[in-house]
Amino acid sequence: MAQPPLNLPPDDRSGSGTPALPFFPAALAGNQLAGPLVVVVDTPIDFCRWLNEAPPEVQWLQVEGLLGEPEIWAAAARQASAVALDVVVSQPGSEFSSLYRLADVRNVRDVRVTFPMVPGFSKALRLAAALQLPVRLLPGQPDDALVEELLGAVDFYLHDPSVEVPVEFFHSFLASQSGVPGSDLWMILEQDPDEYRRHDQQGALIYPEGALPSPAPSGFVTRFEQNLAEQGAECSGCRWQSFCRGYFKMPDPDYACAGIIRVFDALAKAAGEMATDLAAWQPSPQEASQSPAIP
Amino acid sequence: MNARSFSVILLPTAECNVACEYCFEYKEPHRLSPALVPLLTKRLLDHMENEDIAECEVYWQGGEALIMGPAWYLETRDAMAKAARERGRRFVHYLQTNLISYSPAWNDVIFDMFNGSVGTSMDFPNHHRKLFNGSADDYSRVWRQRLDEARAAGIRVGVIAVLHQGSLAAGADAFYRHFVEELGLDDFQVNTPFPGGPANDSAIEFQLDPAALATFLGELFDIWVDRGLEAGVALGPFDALIDHFTGRPARLPCIWKENCSNQFISVDSKGTVAQCDCWVTSYPDYYFGNIFREPDLTRMLSESPARRQFVERPGKLVEDGDCLECRFLSICHGGCPVRTYSALGTMHAKDPYCEVYKVIFAKAESEGRNLRQRRTAKAAV
Repeated sequence: MAQPPLNLPPDDRSGSGTPALPFFPAALAGNQLAGPLVVVVDTPIDFCRWLNEAPPEVQWLQVEGLLGEPEIWAAAARQASAVALDVVVSQPGSEFSSLYRLADVRNVRDVRVTFPMVPGFSKALRLAAALQLPVRLLPGQPDDALVEELLGAVDFYLHDPSVEVPVEFFHSFLASQSGVPGSDLWMILEQDPDEYRRHDQQGALIYPEGALPSPAPSGFVTRFEQNLAEQGAECSGCRWQSFCRGYFKMPDPDYACAGIIRVFDALAKAAGEMATDLAAWQPSPQEASQSPAIP
Repeated sequence: MNARSFSVILLPTAECNVACEYCFEYKEPHRLSPALVPLLTKRLLDHMENEDIAECEVYWQGGEALIMGPAWYLETRDAMAKAARERGRRFVHYLQTNLISYSPAWNDVIFDMFNGSVGTSMDFPNHHRKLFNGSADDYSRVWRQRLDEARAAGIRVGVIAVLHQGSLAAGADAFYRHFVEELGLDDFQVNTPFPGGPANDSAIEFQLDPAALATFLGELFDIWVDRGLEAGVALGPFDALIDHFTGRPARLPCIWKENCSNQFISVDSKGTVAQCDCWVTSYPDYYFGNIFREPDLTRMLSESPARRQFVERPGKLVEDGDCLECRFLSICHGGCPVRTYSALGTMHAKDPYCEVYKVIFAKAESEGRNLRQRRTAKAAV
């Protein structure tokens, strides 16, 4: 997805000093075009309107609950407008086969699919990979069964040769473990409210589930981490704290992270194996000019 | 306008000048009238405009496409090009012919309209392609003569070979030698057969045991890698698979597209629209409509219940079958609907050649890996 340019007014700046990217429902977005934004569409009419008339300020459309509408995907495949799509699939275990509707769309515009980690999500992951659709996986707080499914998904991502597209958060974590400077999990999943400011139908800011709406979102993740530390959460001793920053303690701060740590360990182990392989690799002069790191 | 591809397999006639025993087409003596070409062109251009498609590939075949005569093609080409130019679009033409009636009179058309290239078909050994008043040997002799004449005129000829029991009995080595060494071809393709249309005795020859077919294709693949790959022999679909598994842009055959209904349609001389030539010539229950009688092709395609079955097929396969678990899903998507339908009576099942494809995919994957390593080593030296 495109990064927002640095032209927002100071009060819209995030804690990091970079501009925050607002998300507005389609009904409100028309009045918010002073700077970059993401438009959230959840009806065929809004989808087609913003698809056809998206001004350059629109970074992408977040499309919710519309995968089952074949006509709109035919329209999205028809026009080579620049606007990218983030297609949210709320029930990936049952809706996964409808991802075929995006096969033609991704030929004319950037398309990413986002889905929550609920039972059966790995079916959607497999098909998205087969269709070359990048994935953003929202893990929530997985129970033991979901952790096992998540570990299977990690194995698929790491070892299936058909996977050529990024699967987040696996991709960025693997990159970070391979020495590529990156960001934390909140940012990678576009869940840091300092940077990604979501608004409801009334225009009020939406805070992460379980978070208090006061004070203002600035510094939210830092304050959340500090609160966890004060509560004696396991995060302070966790080797993946600098990447995770307590993400898996939301909304339930008592969530036990043992399963998630196995996921991070599996990815880190793979990164280590890659480093070993790369160290033993003798590049040709042509290859030596190319970076072996994950892009 | 977008980069989405759109192709039309156009059958200007169902007539044919030969009598192949296994042909599944109904050879009605009907030809596309020049008077209808402007309407056909308009319908296609309307659709391209609706879909924001700049270029349409037109694959002319039959019946036998050359029956229409060179003048008919030149007139048609001009009419289509003029109409397309006026609407800022383009047609690109390809020709598939049995070559039997080829003569130098076709050269101007082939160079002007088809970029000096034609596709044709021949099997090895040829048991079933016959002239109306001649044997399979007579057919082979005439075809070879025409092939040589066309190539002598500078025409590039690609050949499609359909495998049958005799091919498997002859073996992969004899098969490869025939096409590459005896015929001197450097561009040919092997197709798996399917029993389209009404059953006949010859159809049995084309019902191949998947294990035997997999063995044959595996051996053919190895022979091609050994003798043809580095020598510049293009053998489809192996060459496209090697491109895929070495990270190069690959033009995989239609049977392995994520959804062939997104890619092309077929139109016959009466205007019947269906998914591909196999469907338009054999299975009336699956017609999408008629391009002359219905004013809006885009609407026909979006509303046709028959086409919806094609659109939904890959999704149903990953829901109901085991395709989702297959590591080759990204390059197969359940295979060919017509091969499935003709074998099983439904298109909502995976291709009956699934296990054959897996053998080829695995071989290409392995060879692709070797090839990358060899190229890396070569670059290092």
